[in-house]
Amino acid sequence: MAKKDKEEDEFRPTGTIAVLTVFVITLIAIWATIYAILVQRGGTL
Amino acid sequence: MNQYQVSPAEKKFIGSHILVAILALAVGSLFGPLQAFEHAGWDFYQYLKPFIKSYYQGLTVHGVLNALVWTTFFIMGFLTFLVIFGLKRQLKNPTLNKVGFWMMVVGVVAAAIPILTNQATVLFTFYPPLKANWAFYVGLTLVVVGSWVEGWGLFMTYAAWRKENPNERTPFVAFASLITAALWQICTLGVAVEILTMLLPLSLGLIDGVDPQLARTYFWFTGHPLVYFWLLPAYISWYAFLPRQASNSKMFSDSLARLAFWIFLVLSTPLGFHHQYVDPGVPPAWKFIHSMLTFGVFFPSMMTAFTVIASLEMGARKSGGKGAFGWIGKLNWSDPSVAAQLLAGILFFFGGMGGLTNASYNVNLVLHNTAFIPGHFHLTVATAVTLSFMGISYWLVPYLTGRKLWQPKWATIQAWVWFVGMIIFSNSMHVLGLLGAPRRVPLGLAPYVPAEWNSRLFQVGLGGAILFVSGAIYLLVMLKTATNKERVESEVIVPVADSLQDVAQTPEWLDRWAPWLYGTLALIVVVYGPQLVDQIANIALTSPGFRVW
Repeated sequence: MAKKDKEEDEFRPTGTIAVLTVFVITLIAIWATIYAILVQRGGTL
Repeated sequence: MNQYQVSPAEKKFIGSHILVAILALAVGSLFGPLQAFEHAGWDFYQYLKPFIKSYYQGLTVHGVLNALVWTTFFIMGFLTFLVIFGLKRQLKNPTLNKVGFWMMVVGVVAAAIPILTNQATVLFTFYPPLKANWAFYVGLTLVVVGSWVEGWGLFMTYAAWRKENPNERTPFVAFASLITAALWQICTLGVAVEILTMLLPLSLGLIDGVDPQLARTYFWFTGHPLVYFWLLPAYISWYAFLPRQASNSKMFSDSLARLAFWIFLVLSTPLGFHHQYVDPGVPPAWKFIHSMLTFGVFFPSMMTAFTVIASLEMGARKSGGKGAFGWIGKLNWSDPSVAAQLLAGILFFFGGMGGLTNASYNVNLVLHNTAFIPGHFHLTVATAVTLSFMGISYWLVPYLTGRKLWQPKWATIQAWVWFVGMIIFSNSMHVLGLLGAPRRVPLGLAPYVPAEWNSRLFQVGLGGAILFVSGAIYLLVMLKTATNKERVESEVIVPVADSLQDVAQTPEWLDRWAPWLYGTLALIVVVYGPQLVDQIANIALTSPGFRVW
């Protein structure tokens, strides 16, 4: 139990940060792709 | 472990909600694939005449039963369970909750009759000047008011608990459920006003026309927070149950979770104009303000993602998970409830990305009213929400019935089949939207379909077929579970996770309702008030109702 508590105290969510970083990069890439489509269409429909 | 025992009568009451929800899902899901097949050029609607007369009637059945009825009944049942279990007390006034439930049931029947007799083929957004039979609007009103009444029952239960426990922090699952119920009470005022002041009088012949612009404003006052009404119960499960189920872990931050729910309450209603970027009657400045507030919701969404993933990671590391991503494999993927919710969460990442893109004032012009939109909301309501609810039902139904889950392996397969089917279906819909394919159109009949759409339209049909198989497996598992002669050996343990910190240390201001409620109402008045006053002052009830089917 004590070992578990220590693990919890020392836990650093590095994997979580990695997952969220991938999310944000993908989000920006998708947004930018669709923005490029908007610009290619002359900024309007 | 001694958990609070929900009474048999309350289990039956909660189970009644789940039963109606699953019945609605069963009927509605029959029609979902027909839309997808139609896009692929396989028109099954011709074989359904005279019972189902058109693509649009089928689309209405699918949308109303799956997006509105399945979700609302499941959510009200789940919230009722969470409030009772979380507060460890019986409902204060169970009769009130029962009245609300039966109002909802009567409402569903009242709305279903005109839909099934082709008198209400107005899709689940029921935009005027499309006009339905009056019973459709009365039915929807009863569903909404019934859910309010059930919500009042939950608030009364909370008030009684608070009186008995003046200094305790509200247990998280009950706390988050009550916020969800409050959000629903506030946001549904929009659609209630729309129906009672325009749609119902129009359908009864009391007025000759409606103001579509004002009606859309009322609708989206409800329509976007409706998304959070769907999502928040799934979030409760991800925050409070999934960590224990997936990795025997704890909730990483009780305070952060509570703060996220308050921000959802404050921000989820005053942003409806981001659905109306191309509406000519809404000034650009107001659209911009709503656009910014929509991006504000990104923050509690990321707080939720962080807390949930960190909770999962913490447990997975204890099980030996290594590396930036390797720990994910240590989660309990063999549990169908876990698999369903994790897969729902993974696809929801892409739903979130699409949502932010839709909400961008400029980029939205590329996507508006294209197939991208149903592609997007099949990742949110049809996966993040629906697949999570399916996962929740894999432990909740055994808990409520005392019967073992039938063939857990099939339940796990069901989740994976849904995941694969939705990737194919949703991805093709997104791409079709970017190529300019419109939504709400039977594209199998459209003469203008360019060759570059064809492979994607086929994938829409393929994805729909796979989703149909998954839905059928789910219904089979639920049916066989509900009738399973094999009973659970002992009471099913509700897999609620403890908080990493002592909940008593959670700041008191995160457990106070007044400032958050006043803040919510004030923000709504500020960002909706002037436009509502202007649109109501200039109301033009000049558009006659149409029946175009």
